Amino acid sequence: MSAAAILALFAFALLAQEPAANHDAILQHAIALQQAGDLDGAIRAYRDYLAVEPDSLQARSNLGAALARAGRYEEAIAEYGAGLQKSPDNPALLLNLGLAYYKTGRYPEAAARFERGISLSPQFKDQVTLLLAACYNNLGRYKDAVALLAPLEKDKGGDAGFDYIYGTALIGGGDEAAATAVMNRILSHGDSPEVYLLRGTLELAAHDRDRARADLEKAIALNPRLPGAHARYGELLLAVGDGERARAAFAQELALDPDEFTSNLNMGVLAKEDQAYVEARRYLERALKTRPNDGGVRYQLANVDLATGNLEPARQALEALTKESPEFAEAHASLATVYYRMNRSADGDRERAISEKLMEQRDALQTGTRPR
Amino acid sequence: MNRWWAVGALSLAVCGLWVSAGGAQPETRRPHFTDIAPKSNFAYRTDNNFTGRKYFPQTMCGGVAAFDFDNDGRMDLFFTNGAKLPELQKTDPKFYNCLLRNRGDGTFEDVTAKAGLLGKDLGFSFGVAAGDYDNDGFEDLFICNAGRNTLYHNNGNGTFTDVTGQSGITKPKDVLSVAAAWFDYDNDGKLDLVVSNYTVWTPQIDKVCAINGQEYYCHPKIYPSVAHRLYHNLGNGHFEDVTDSAGFGKDLGKGMGIAIADFNGDGYMDVFVANDTVRNFLYINQKNGTFKESGYEWGVAYDENGNAHSSMGADARDYDNDGFPDLFYNNLKGQIWGLFRNMGGKYMSYASGMSHVSRLSEHSSGWSNGFFDYNNDGWKDLYSSNGDIDNMGAISRQPDTLFENVDGKEFRDVTTQVGADFAHAGFQRGSAFVDLNNDGFVDLVVTSLDERPRILMNSADNGNHWLLVNTIGRRSNRDGVGAVMKLTTASGRTLYNHVSTSDGFMSSSDKRVHFGLGNEKMIESLEIRWPSGILQTVKKPKADQILTVTEPSR
Repeated sequence: MSAAAILALFAFALLAQEPAANHDAILQHAIALQQAGDLDGAIRAYRDYLAVEPDSLQARSNLGAALARAGRYEEAIAEYGAGLQKSPDNPALLLNLGLAYYKTGRYPEAAARFERGISLSPQFKDQVTLLLAACYNNLGRYKDAVALLAPLEKDKGGDAGFDYIYGTALIGGGDEAAATAVMNRILSHGDSPEVYLLRGTLELAAHDRDRARADLEKAIALNPRLPGAHARYGELLLAVGDGERARAAFAQELALDPDEFTSNLNMGVLAKEDQAYVEARRYLERALKTRPNDGGVRYQLANVDLATGNLEPARQALEALTKESPEFAEAHASLATVYYRMNRSADGDRERAISEKLMEQRDALQTGTRPR
Repeated sequence: MNRWWAVGALSLAVCGLWVSAGGAQPETRRPHFTDIAPKSNFAYRTDNNFTGRKYFPQTMCGGVAAFDFDNDGRMDLFFTNGAKLPELQKTDPKFYNCLLRNRGDGTFEDVTAKAGLLGKDLGFSFGVAAGDYDNDGFEDLFICNAGRNTLYHNNGNGTFTDVTGQSGITKPKDVLSVAAAWFDYDNDGKLDLVVSNYTVWTPQIDKVCAINGQEYYCHPKIYPSVAHRLYHNLGNGHFEDVTDSAGFGKDLGKGMGIAIADFNGDGYMDVFVANDTVRNFLYINQKNGTFKESGYEWGVAYDENGNAHSSMGADARDYDNDGFPDLFYNNLKGQIWGLFRNMGGKYMSYASGMSHVSRLSEHSSGWSNGFFDYNNDGWKDLYSSNGDIDNMGAISRQPDTLFENVDGKEFRDVTTQVGADFAHAGFQRGSAFVDLNNDGFVDLVVTSLDERPRILMNSADNGNHWLLVNTIGRRSNRDGVGAVMKLTTASGRTLYNHVSTSDGFMSSSDKRVHFGLGNEKMIESLEIRWPSGILQTVKKPKADQILTVTEPSR
């Protein structure tokens, strides 16, 4: 199920309601224009109406929906936000705002609005659950997505959209057995790009790169616009050392979804490796917008600072990271280098010792069950 | 920083101006390489005894040394070889090591047996280091093995004697040693020895790894890391293991290539060891017989993402002619080959990206490597011998790569433009840079698993000029290892290099220091800072000659 389909659902649910105030003619005209697909006309008419009825939540919400349908998400967010200032607990406004945030890749904000909307009006749960789970997947909160979807599996299992999002969450959460079961369920309905993507993702995680390549290429061949397919393929290409084609795959994913996390992160890392630090920072900041607390992205940004001689921001970021994640060996290593560069040898020695101990512990767990 | 280097730093601005002028010159013809090995009759093939079972050390075989064992003025070649597994013995002549005498006519004579270097009693041999450890004027050999390491003394009559037993060079039981380098860390005039060790391994504890029933070479992480070892030359053929007292014992790694250079310009040689899947070590000489491992401070321990890669070969030379030796290591396909620019002797700045090395190298798994000026334009180029770890996949066999240095700022891939023999695809491993015919253009010798080595002669046909400097130390070690040179051309261009035979992986190169001069025929001066601290200036030496320089008494 696509976000656009759900977006339309909420928007027209509101449009169908009767206007509550005078100046009805303008409002009705705006609604008629919107229903006829004349979004620019509808937007102008809603704004005319709001000039004389600024407190109309319905007009504000409909204007937001029209703006969203026109792809003018930032303006839509502003309109929904203005409406919520007057009515903070309006579930329709909350959900529409969540949808706009979702469309702009601001998954933390989207998830927060969906959660709040559902808590206020549980009747929306059916419509919003999948989107909320997709937000969780994008945020790397796979276990939350599984917790949300698992109770629905009995009823929704077999729906392609549900199975894809649920399967993605299971893979991300490391439950390969359950993911395989979901995948087999999709397979029972015949070939689909989603199942090839899921299976390729599982194979990639298992370092079975030949099979992963075959499945991911099939997924892309069947649906070149399948969300996540190019990103996974890019990860595979990176794993086999084909950075040039990986760049192209990530770029294709970002052309479909400029906020796709993995692609932004990897493009940022690749740009950093090219010492294209401005470009690296742009990709990494975009990734951070999707997952604001992601330690990996923050670490990469700190290393951009280190590489460009911005020692103080690098120090601050790495100190925060190591405080939050004391087991983050690489962050301790980078922090050691920052301290040494700042002539803080004692601090450098301390961080170096921590880093080495953590890496030794990690090495001790190696089983050698994968080729390099 | 001493006064000599302060002068070097001042000349940098002048050098920069020259570079601009040089960049506008028309591009000269590009030399190419031709394999002349088929002209010679020798039995050696690099034999790692791969017969189906994948033993851990089989990925590393075929060390090379280029040295003049008989002092006839022509560089000879020595190759190490594998052993029967799991016996870990050279049970068959096909596993013997090999010494080839350079006849001077483009052919080589196999004199291994006559020289006593077959190595019948050795295990699986890896790296080799050539150096005159007893200052008798004849180059000796040290060989790294799974099994005991071996020191061969050159008797000066075409034969060698295994003197390991009385030398005091020992190692902990079952440690697998990969590479070695001769250098004089305390500037006492005697060559000391550093050995990079990989792990503890015997055929009996070898592990089997497989996926979907297909065996592959196990990930190194399942084998323990070990300390590299430092041996202090006491004289009279005796060495003392100073690993712990010198500060080498604290850090455990999986050693591969070793690069020797004075990174901070303090007159004492430092040591870089590339480690496989473990952070790299940079031992900075503390000038009191000890070293401080400073990879973190210098920014070379990990890559820019904080990852320890499969670092393989290493070399340290000044690729941008700023007076400070830079650093290079390669690693496996999909990782990032590390090119680091020395920032005034204080730390290293990652340069793989801006120099294009990261993108140029992403399809290659590199082993031996090094900076060498193949076209004598005065800029050191980057060579890497390549080939996958394993024989799985369609692109396991790989060609070597040659990245041409463009004005000391970036590199371009000229692999396919320097001859079909150069671009041969295989599982390349060891390599040595050497001027085999003394024509002033550097030749290349490369080993490949299960093949005869390639002896790649440089066509030397672009008309560029050169100088080859052969150092003879008196107060310093006789080889002059560690001597740092600054050459100034008549136009004021400054070039830098130093004496070190250790480069790449498992290999030892021509000890003579090479300078390409581009189209300049006149040299203003050659300044040498000897390990003893003595500064020597040779005024206006002629170009296009092999210049032997003997260290003055003061």
